Amino acid sequence: MGGPPPITNRVRELREAREMSQAALGEAIGVTRQTIIAIEQGRYSPSLESAFRIARIFGVGLEGVFGWEPD
Amino acid sequence: MSYREKSAWVIAALMAVTGAYYFLIVRAASQALGETAPAAVAIGFVMLVVIGSIAVQVVLALSSPREANAPADERERLVAQRSGNWSGLVLATCAVTALGHFLVRSDGSMLFHLVMGSLIVSQIAEYAFQIFLSRRSV
Repeated sequence: MGGPPPITNRVRELREAREMSQAALGEAIGVTRQTIIAIEQGRYSPSLESAFRIARIFGVGLEGVFGWEPD
Repeated sequence: MSYREKSAWVIAALMAVTGAYYFLIVRAASQALGETAPAAVAIGFVMLVVIGSIAVQVVLALSSPREANAPADERERLVAQRSGNWSGLVLATCAVTALGHFLVRSDGSMLFHLVMGSLIVSQIAEYAFQIFLSRRSV
């Protein structure tokens, strides 16, 4: 454990731009609403598969959703 | 609060209450007998835990049938794995302590109760870790 992972994301911004609920996004990629909340708050970095699913739902590339900020 | 976190709270509370009951019956029986209560006093506790666990899981599942039937997602599986790992360390620590007590006192009945207590403590710890990790970064 430790601090938040150095992976940043624009999930909330992209989801809200599409007027999509957290529950709907979670259902679309196969995770719970709580996991979407954790991703949006930077408390959890999703698996590569879920990251690709999220990017595909938003119609952008992986780097359009996720970023990496090393120390 | 997610279904699994809610479930962890309820089962942890159940284990704490039944664990306290177990401690009280062992203490009362030991005082009455003038020696450590035999292992058989655990039967009532085990039955209480099994029936209580089934009852609360049924109530939880009926209150949220969709979430109860859904498989754990990737984050929930990670939380469960880490909680299981940490609670295993708690169990090992308590079990080694119980064995140390047996080495000194050679009381087999007490060893049984201490190992049973170790199982109870590690179960409560596992649910506590699940609740903690559900709210923190994993």
